[in-house]
Amino acid sequence: MTARFAAAVAVLALASSWFAVPAAAAIPRQTGTLPRGGSYVLYPDRTVGSAAIGLWFRAPAAGYDDATPGIANLAATAAAVAPLASGKSLYALVHTVGGELNIEVYPDIIGVGAIVPAYASRRIVAAMTAAYFAPSVDDAAVKTARANAAVLGVQQRYESDTTLHDLLFKQIFATGPAHYPPLPTTVSQLTSITTVQVGTFARRAFRAQNAVLTLTGNVDASSVNAVTDGGGSGSMDAPYDSKLTGTPSSTTAAGAVDGVGLAWIGPPIADQKAATALDFVADYLFREETGVVSRVLDRADSDALVVGQFITLHDPGVMVVTIGGSNEKQTEKSVLEALSALQRPMDAKTFAAAREAFLYHVATDTQTPQQRADNLGWYSAEGALDYAPGIAEGSYEQSARALDPQYVADVVRRYLHSPVVVDLVATTPQKEPSR
Amino acid sequence: MRSFSAFCLAAALASALPTAARAASVSVPSPSVENAGGTLIVRQADGAASLVGVTLIVRAGLDRQTMKQNGLAALAAETIVRTPVNGVAVEDAIAARGGSVHFTIDPGDVRFYVEALAVDAPAVLDLFRAAIAAPDFSPATIRDARGVLVRQIAQVQQVALQVGIDMLNAASSRQANAGLPELGTPASLAQFFSEDARAFYRAYYRRGGAVVSAAGRLDALTPESLAALAGALPAGMTSPVPVRVPALNGATHEIVAHRDIASPWLIAQYPAPNVDSRDFGPMLVLAAFVRRTLSDIAQVPGVVSPTFASRSVGTVYAYDRAPATLVLYVNGGLIGNPSRAFATALSVVSVLAASRLQGSIEEFKAEAAGDFANDATTLETRTWLAAVFSRGSASPDFINRALAAISSTTPEDVQRVARDYLGNPTIALVLPRGQNLQD
Repeated sequence: MTARFAAAVAVLALASSWFAVPAAAAIPRQTGTLPRGGSYVLYPDRTVGSAAIGLWFRAPAAGYDDATPGIANLAATAAAVAPLASGKSLYALVHTVGGELNIEVYPDIIGVGAIVPAYASRRIVAAMTAAYFAPSVDDAAVKTARANAAVLGVQQRYESDTTLHDLLFKQIFATGPAHYPPLPTTVSQLTSITTVQVGTFARRAFRAQNAVLTLTGNVDASSVNAVTDGGGSGSMDAPYDSKLTGTPSSTTAAGAVDGVGLAWIGPPIADQKAATALDFVADYLFREETGVVSRVLDRADSDALVVGQFITLHDPGVMVVTIGGSNEKQTEKSVLEALSALQRPMDAKTFAAAREAFLYHVATDTQTPQQRADNLGWYSAEGALDYAPGIAEGSYEQSARALDPQYVADVVRRYLHSPVVVDLVATTPQKEPSR
Repeated sequence: MRSFSAFCLAAALASALPTAARAASVSVPSPSVENAGGTLIVRQADGAASLVGVTLIVRAGLDRQTMKQNGLAALAAETIVRTPVNGVAVEDAIAARGGSVHFTIDPGDVRFYVEALAVDAPAVLDLFRAAIAAPDFSPATIRDARGVLVRQIAQVQQVALQVGIDMLNAASSRQANAGLPELGTPASLAQFFSEDARAFYRAYYRRGGAVVSAAGRLDALTPESLAALAGALPAGMTSPVPVRVPALNGATHEIVAHRDIASPWLIAQYPAPNVDSRDFGPMLVLAAFVRRTLSDIAQVPGVVSPTFASRSVGTVYAYDRAPATLVLYVNGGLIGNPSRAFATALSVVSVLAASRLQGSIEEFKAEAAGDFANDATTLETRTWLAAVFSRGSASPDFINRALAAISSTTPEDVQRVARDYLGNPTIALVLPRGQNLQD
């Protein structure tokens, strides 16, 4: 689950600094249908030595009846560690060829990504689609997945950012997958999910028809032919949205570390201009080193850590700001004051510079094969591939360039008032791991 | 400890036995190189990129300082990025135009990295060229630059691994000034005035020996724009300031420092070959082997995702530094018995030098190839590696050269390299304040 919002910092954070591509990169993306159902997105770059391969699915992290929180994480991990016909698991194969495998589970989507040397891309496409399109989940694989989830769960307790995300979502969403943390939070949750349940979930969630395969880096279209499994008919599941709480309330929670989280309900991904405006706000205020709030904290030698991002979910999106380190309440005041100031239109010169910087940040955050693969997968699964930031000929840059100071102020007034607040209070003395 | 070490050593060596993942080659276009009046221009066009990235390397690094000028190279570089252009510090002006600029001080060089959206790249490079051609050494800008550096130094002092590596670099540098802290110290920076920075700039910011390495959407630039960047500097070559120190005697050296950190760090440094050496490929494989050994010791059994523990150990083969080094590290706060893990790793390294690896090394070759290829994907890394590989007599084709060097490595090569380089480590212990070695 750490992985979750760590890739929520690679991916979700994608949500915060999403991008735009300047005109004219001459390599358009290619899309198509997989041989046995599902779709693919190809975005090649033959000037790098590696390839990124991803499989993304729409599936509810807490199970199809919201009764088994964590089941998506167990299923995705178990499928990766279960032996394939060759006797070697996907996880082992990726490491054997010198690559890395990442499994990211969000409330409504699951992403599996591998970054490997380019010469291994076809083998990994074949193995990844075999592992997920025809999952053979057994007791041993589920046991490994449980151990993995248990370790990640313990780690997450010491990550205020991830913990606060889960707590904020719990307050905002009354029911549905976003109400539950993607990782099991108790031992009983972890152990009560059976191998049969995991297998059943995997076969339903990881159908080829419910998948998007993303291929970026040094790959070509022939890699699609390496897909070896899948079958049946049908299409991708409808988005798994969650129901909002009528009047979300703030709360205090006990944890292993201190922190403060703020959240606001934002627009759906379909409202691209408003969503882009909130990405812009997150970038302008909270981006590390360059954000207005971040720079104020830096100049004050504060050790407070502020992370702000607009999470571009299908419907609705959520603006989240988490504060760790020390002086959380004072920092919270600074955050709210900065947001309040944005309710008035920025002066034209400041806005123009901030928007250009935003477009640059988007581009620099989506330059590697892995960043592009995650980006394409996330937005495909959220139903808006053309809006994926950082791709040529997409609509994101257009939306960003259409922003103006008055519109941004309007969006801030419309969405960023009266946040839901979660105070995370450490119940034991904190010991920060040294870097 | 002895028996545990032996067990881990057996496990580590045994893990080299099977597998059949062969490091192969990839088809990546080689960067082009030209010499423009003493400046090397390296180009990697990437039509899929939306950015242009340019690294400018000038021979104005640590070894151009005297021992009393600790931090002056950094102050000159920071002054350049804080230089006002049209009334705004160039760093901020570039940000407002859709780009960024930062620098790194190396033992022999300062390298600036400028990145921008393709459509903004010509204007951004113009801004940077204006600043580097005529830096503002006024007291106000110097004070501003010094303040930035002091804040950065304070941040670096909180990163135990960096503190340890800085100490080890100081101990292993053949020239004492090349091993000074990259940014200096707050005390040394406080002694410099405008004239000091101006004199350093005038003496060492020359285009002779400079490298301009660019990648990305180069079609957005005019053909002469890269050469013009170095052309902003006066002609001429410079030489390092010679500062010799006697080599330390003895088999193993230990350096200890205390910082405001939560847990101890154990770091070992060995000399290592540079990228033009025949030992480069074998050392990449050896580094992968040692990293795997450390990781196996620290890893939680049966867990597939990266964990705090698995991230708390590792190796760093700094082949882009002069002199190159191999570093092993263990974060003592995140694994059960850091001393034992560290001792085991050192034992593995030392036994490797004496006994031939049994079985295949293909898995480690694949890991080395994967690490190299997967780490060389940002424009900044690509421009830097192309520059590093182009400075010798060989090609700047870093990807294909590295993969070929790995592919041709044999177990005998690995043993030879272990024997030649991994004999006498220098060890740094970075401890929390109030703790000593016996705690």
